[in-house]
Amino acid sequence: MAGAEGFVEADNAEAIIIRIEHKSRKIESLLKQGKPIEALKTALEGAPPKTQDERCKSANWIVVHRALMAIKDVDFMFSSLDPEYYDILMKYLYRGLSTGDRPTCDQCLRIHEKLTEKAGLGCILRCLADTVNTV
Amino acid sequence: MAAIAVHQFAQCITCHAWSPDHAMVAFCPNNNEVHIYKLIQEKWEKLHVLQKHDQIVSGIDWSVRSNRIVTVSHDRNSYVWNQEGSEWVPTLVILRLNRAALCVQWSPKENKFAVGSGAKTVCICYYEQENNWWVSKLIRKRHDSSVTSVAWHPNNVFLATTSTDGKCRVFSTFIKGVDIKEKKEGTSSDTKFGEQILQLDLSFSWAFGVKWSPSGNTLAYVGHNSMIYFVDDVGPSPLAQNVAFRDLPLRDVLFVSEKMVIGVGFDCNPMVFAADETGIWTFIKFLDERKTSSSGPKYGSQFSEAFGKLYGQSKYGVGNDAVESSRTRGGAHVNCINCIVPLREAGSSRITRFTTSGYTWDLGSQEDLLNYL
Repeated sequence: MAGAEGFVEADNAEAIIIRIEHKSRKIESLLKQGKPIEALKTALEGAPPKTQDERCKSANWIVVHRALMAIKDVDFMFSSLDPEYYDILMKYLYRGLSTGDRPTCDQCLRIHEKLTEKAGLGCILRCLADTVNTV
Repeated sequence: MAAIAVHQFAQCITCHAWSPDHAMVAFCPNNNEVHIYKLIQEKWEKLHVLQKHDQIVSGIDWSVRSNRIVTVSHDRNSYVWNQEGSEWVPTLVILRLNRAALCVQWSPKENKFAVGSGAKTVCICYYEQENNWWVSKLIRKRHDSSVTSVAWHPNNVFLATTSTDGKCRVFSTFIKGVDIKEKKEGTSSDTKFGEQILQLDLSFSWAFGVKWSPSGNTLAYVGHNSMIYFVDDVGPSPLAQNVAFRDLPLRDVLFVSEKMVIGVGFDCNPMVFAADETGIWTFIKFLDERKTSSSGPKYGSQFSEAFGKLYGQSKYGVGNDAVESSRTRGGAHVNCINCIVPLREAGSSRITRFTTSGYTWDLGSQEDLLNYL
């Protein structure tokens, strides 16, 4: 039973990674066009659901990180980001903060402050409490 | 609107229950006793102290028609107290638990009560006339972790439970000799004792505070991840709604009417949720409006300072002026609210008053909420 599941995971993982690569190309082109918010939305969409595979999560994190670092105007970003993205963005912010890398942490902190103002403490709690869908 | 009456009984109240005529209140002041206070001429007087438990009393319920108090404690015992003259006489109920009892509730007909425990079981206790004692039947299956809250459906047979495994379940507690089988089609298969009717896996974190709406059509429970879940048409194909809110998690909820729910929890301020005509539930407002408004983040002093330190470390020095000097949150409660109990008018299904451990609230004076009642 576990063996069969593992097999399905591996298959799925390959498919997910290919999808992420597609996403990455799309995001690069959006960034070149000067649309960092669209890029972030694309990166956050379809974050690998319920996969335990670390490679998929890391692959998606790299893509999200690229989009996050490209954001210059945080306030403007929030005016056009839908609330459904808040929870998943918060999860990625914490992943960013855990890297310890100075530029990443600075950017994540700036976004975190504004996101908390917008989404409240509940958003942080949902990120902490959810141990099933981690990023 | 602020609370209409504020009573300071003790430093910390674990749980409380009102007498049928609302003249007396029983509560546990965070120790192994139950204190009963009566309102005599505008002052609350301590009338009785019920001392039988060895550890903290975690649940109290006072039945409306039969005037009995049931208490459960971390000492794995339960007592049913009957008032004889001016004394309360306890009857031990052997629950057969090997872990603490966490919550208790009388069934609507008051012939049974349910106890949730840390032993991953639910005890359904009923009175056996021949032997003159309370018997406990256990639902051992299904729960993977502590049962934090129980709630009876108006039909006296269905019981909803929430657990720290994040799931909400509905069981049948049909007991031969106590419950009467209803001649409804399709229900005969579900009426076996301990049969699980429904399992809701909506929350990824601990679940607390489950309640049925007055008609029994809707179920509401909260998760520790700052979400509240509403389930309509509980049955083979339920309709679930997840409502995420901005603030700290809730601990308990109360259905004020079919369309309005009050939630209480770590924010020390009751939150009102209501369903509109299409049945979509949303957060309406906080009940206690004493929070002073400011331009900065609306958090209490400890949060402001913590966030100030966090953001102050950023190279760009953002928002250091968001650190405010100590400001109280305002509002009646200063700590987490654990439980909310209705003050029901006899014969009325509308609830306009309720208490949250120590404070009485009146919804009647809230103009904008009245159309939800």
